[in-house]
Amino acid sequence: MTGLPVADRTAVRRAARDLIARDRRAVAGMLVLHGAAAVAGLAPPWLLGRIVDEVTAGAGAATVDRLALAIACCVLAQGLLVRYARYAGHRLGERAIARLRERFVSRALDLPVSVVERAGTGDLATRSSVDVTTVGTTVRDVLPVIVIAATQLLLLFGAIFLLHPLLGLVALAGLPSIAAVTRWYLRRARPAYLAEGAATAELTEALTTTAEGARTVEALRLDGDRVAYGRRRIRRVWEARRATLALRSVFFPVVEASYPLPIAAVLLTGGFLLADGTVTLGAVVAAALYLQQAVDPMDQLLQQVEQAQRGLASFARVVGVGQPAPDRAGPAAPAVPEPRGGKAQRLVVRGARYSYGDGPDVLHGIDLEVRPGERLAVVGPSGAGKSTLARLLAGIDAPREGVVSVDGRPVTDLDPAQRRRRIALVTQEHHVFIGSLRDNLAFAAPGATDEQMRAALAAVGADWYEGLPQGLDTPVGDGGRELAAADAQQLALARVVLADPHTLILDEATAALDPTTARRTERSLAAVVTGRTVIAIAHRLNTAHDADRVTVLEDGRITELGSHDELVRAGGAYAALWRSWHGGTGR
Amino acid sequence: MPPQLPLPEPGEPDTSGPLRYLWWLVRCQPWRVLRGSLIGSAWMLGLSVRPYLVARAIDDGLRPGDHRALLWWVAAIVVAGVALAYLGIMRHRTMTFVREDASVRSAAVLLRHLSRVGAVLPRRLAAGEVATVGGVDITHTSAVLTVTGPGVGAVLAYGFVAVVLWSVSPLLALFVLLGVPAVVLVVAPLLRRLERAESVYRQQQGLLTTRAGDIVAGLRVLAGVGGRGLFADRYAARSRTLLAEGYRVGAVNSWIEALTIAVPGLFLAAVVWLAARMAAAGDITIGQLVAVYGYVAVLVVPVWFLLEGGHQLIRGRVAARRIIGVLDVAPDHAAPPAGTGAPVAPPRRPADLHDPATGLTVPAGRLLAVAADDPAAAGALADRLGRFVASDVTWGGVPLAGVPLDDVRSRILVADHDSYLFAGTLREMLSTRAGTGDAEIAAALRTASAEDVVDALPDGLDTPIGARARTLSGGQRQRVRLARALLAEPEVLLLLEPTSAVDAHTEGRIARRLRAARAGRTTVVLTTSPLLLDRADTVAYLADGRVVATGTHVELLARDRGYRALVSRDDVPAGVDGARG
Repeated sequence: MTGLPVADRTAVRRAARDLIARDRRAVAGMLVLHGAAAVAGLAPPWLLGRIVDEVTAGAGAATVDRLALAIACCVLAQGLLVRYARYAGHRLGERAIARLRERFVSRALDLPVSVVERAGTGDLATRSSVDVTTVGTTVRDVLPVIVIAATQLLLLFGAIFLLHPLLGLVALAGLPSIAAVTRWYLRRARPAYLAEGAATAELTEALTTTAEGARTVEALRLDGDRVAYGRRRIRRVWEARRATLALRSVFFPVVEASYPLPIAAVLLTGGFLLADGTVTLGAVVAAALYLQQAVDPMDQLLQQVEQAQRGLASFARVVGVGQPAPDRAGPAAPAVPEPRGGKAQRLVVRGARYSYGDGPDVLHGIDLEVRPGERLAVVGPSGAGKSTLARLLAGIDAPREGVVSVDGRPVTDLDPAQRRRRIALVTQEHHVFIGSLRDNLAFAAPGATDEQMRAALAAVGADWYEGLPQGLDTPVGDGGRELAAADAQQLALARVVLADPHTLILDEATAALDPTTARRTERSLAAVVTGRTVIAIAHRLNTAHDADRVTVLEDGRITELGSHDELVRAGGAYAALWRSWHGGTGR
Repeated sequence: MPPQLPLPEPGEPDTSGPLRYLWWLVRCQPWRVLRGSLIGSAWMLGLSVRPYLVARAIDDGLRPGDHRALLWWVAAIVVAGVALAYLGIMRHRTMTFVREDASVRSAAVLLRHLSRVGAVLPRRLAAGEVATVGGVDITHTSAVLTVTGPGVGAVLAYGFVAVVLWSVSPLLALFVLLGVPAVVLVVAPLLRRLERAESVYRQQQGLLTTRAGDIVAGLRVLAGVGGRGLFADRYAARSRTLLAEGYRVGAVNSWIEALTIAVPGLFLAAVVWLAARMAAAGDITIGQLVAVYGYVAVLVVPVWFLLEGGHQLIRGRVAARRIIGVLDVAPDHAAPPAGTGAPVAPPRRPADLHDPATGLTVPAGRLLAVAADDPAAAGALADRLGRFVASDVTWGGVPLAGVPLDDVRSRILVADHDSYLFAGTLREMLSTRAGTGDAEIAAALRTASAEDVVDALPDGLDTPIGARARTLSGGQRQRVRLARALLAEPEVLLLLEPTSAVDAHTEGRIARRLRAARAGRTTVVLTTSPLLLDRADTVAYLADGRVVATGTHVELLARDRGYRALVSRDDVPAGVDGARG
């Protein structure tokens, strides 16, 4: 299983810029509020320094009261400013997160199907739950703290510098060691946290797949296997977590041991300056207190740098979803006008070769011309490449070599939306989306009326819907009303009726249906396919018998092409297959 | 000490309530938690050493201008800083171990439970629910355990500072002791409000996550028919609703955050005011005034930890409740109806299964095919015979519902045509029984005519395959499932439409080999495929929920019109199906 890609630095930076760009004014407003809050927070130590000096000078209770009141006022002001600054940050953050998750879903929707299949849905699911949430926490909680802490630190060190430049200079004593260890840490943190995220995703997948396959677990008594599998995932997670902990075990103590250095330096330097009489005791006390006060924002900043790293790692995983080339975009060149009157179009395959990933070719130079309006059956043993051919015809995958074109244009050059209106692929795979029955139909034809939807359902023989309590509004899918496999497939076929494509590719579309429903559906489909080109991938031969032409696909090559009767007469592989199929029924 | 993970045995959780669950996570590692508490407390107390040292440096060194004393105190500040750094990292390491032990324990307990619940699970829980619980709630739950370390330390540090203050001035100390409960009283109601907002928010977040997962699961469908834009728009609309909710939560959160700064800050201002007046009156020294300021500033840390702990506890309670929600999904093993008394012993040797609802008898040791006019009836029949539902099925004369479930599962296997394929190497996928050898695997693959599946994989049996084996074709998946069912070697094997997705040629081969592979053992194939029916010892034709005819395939073809119509499907219109016709 190849995981989905993770965005690199440049892509992450660009994506972050994009997210903030639209809220530039809100960002500025938030920064101003945080700055004001930090200034209000600086006042108490300075006021305490004033108190020290006044009391040393023999001031009375009235002066002390006045200064103490000033401290209280500053605290109140700071509280209010913090509230509004944080709220602004929250709103900003929520907006960015919403934008991010929406983009995530729309990117996931644009992913080529093959990429999703290879990556596994657990990876995508974790990215959408854990990673989007982590990024959310980072944006909502971490970024504001970083902004606040940075502002506070700037102001604190500035204030010490104002008290006496030399004090300001020695106050920086702790920075070299902190800077060095932070660099050391950050360089190693990113890959370590990415590995941790990947390991966590696999553990989550172990849980979700166990839940999905619960019946199989019971039937085959796989509970022991699943627990053992989970234990292996847990071991991986634990290894990854210990690796990141080892990094923190160096980073944190060096930073913490660096904090008292500037305090010691300021006190020592203050002692000499005091002897010279260049500073007051109050100034040295205030400088020491400022440094004491700097510990908290510094701590938060560094703590959050680590959190921010984690957020960044998640962000890279979220943004990474958009990384593989999305489903081919529509043509930049002028679009070909839609043929009038819904006329069927000529689908041509020339020299098409295809391989999954770097694997061997599964199709070896297919040449095929589908005549408008014909019924073409594609038969052949499992694994011959029938489904792959169907995907190429539908434009879902592009051939590695050669071309699949409709009316002379490569199908993959068509705008995906336009392409699907012309060519629809129906597989036996069906998925009922969470939502109403209407939602499950409407996406195939957004403009369809309720009447058309009911007609479409009736056309495919889905009479069960009449029994639903809320009709088209009945909630279906995960958490809603459960549809039987046959009903779900009928729903899928009703979508095709609504989408009204010129060409219909049926990839074993009714294979999952029971005989009765399949027959009912097939009968209804007879009306649906009228006037359309139909390419039916079949593993049963009766389909081929009734088709206009039959093509036999073996080992990725077309070995026979012609009408049923011609092929039977030819006495080749098809004729053999036909006899094998018929041997049982004795027809 | 680092925990030994994965845990050999996660233990039995207390699911009687979210707090009890959290307490269970603590009880599982008492010594580590105690160690965390001790180190956390020592660290928290160590925070108050620096203000003391700074005060001494001012009073003994700076004020009298004694450079020697100043140097000593400054050196002490640096040394104390290194010691505190050591305590700090030990605290973090220990608490990480505590949290990790809790996370892993929750994950292991959840996985064990999910593995045991069985078939009822999908009906009781949305798939996204498990993803959220596994992804976020486990983390939130174990985060609560942070409280046991710095949380306990916070309380101790508070007391310690109060004692030190007492030595400076009893009035100041009293003020601190009374001030703390006041601070907590102001903030507590706000935290309750936060819980409500948070819970709604998380619920909606969970729903949105489920939807994102739903869209991901349906990507293939959307690729075929289109409608991606519509889904993106619909998701976006829901995301906006959540955004509005996020704003509301943010409005409350930001007040709490401001109060965590303002309330201790005001408290500090009041203390400073009192102390400054005392200094002005000459009751305490300037150094003590600065120390008092430092102490109260130090107290902000424990206050913050306590508030943060409260926050984590609220979040963790919500998360623990959701974990319990999953753990509470009870297995529904179609227990015998009430009043039937003690479990009955299963038949000792292979025995006939009889289903009164349809009148079907499955003869022991034979290959029986069931052709049902209604697939739902076939599925229900398999569910009854495999005891996935309560029924009156008898097994060698004893009620199947009374036989211990473990005996049923180990001897009767229902192989659904869509049974789940878990991620792993192909070998792992196939070997569900301990000690399955390569020769057996090769034989099963041959019976299922699935040798080509292995040949096509780069590393053969050792090729890793993702969950649901989506990289395989439908026909390949079905044959892998069949091989897996055969390898389980059950005494009774019920196969539901085992060849519906394979071509006729392969199907004929499978029908032949299946018969040979299961010779002498009870096998039921529920199918309408003529190739499989033709190979069965007996065919039972199930119409309108009852067995209406029994015989060989050829006999039934000749004798029964309904049967003939069902299996040969002569009335299918031209060329429309993708599969049969």
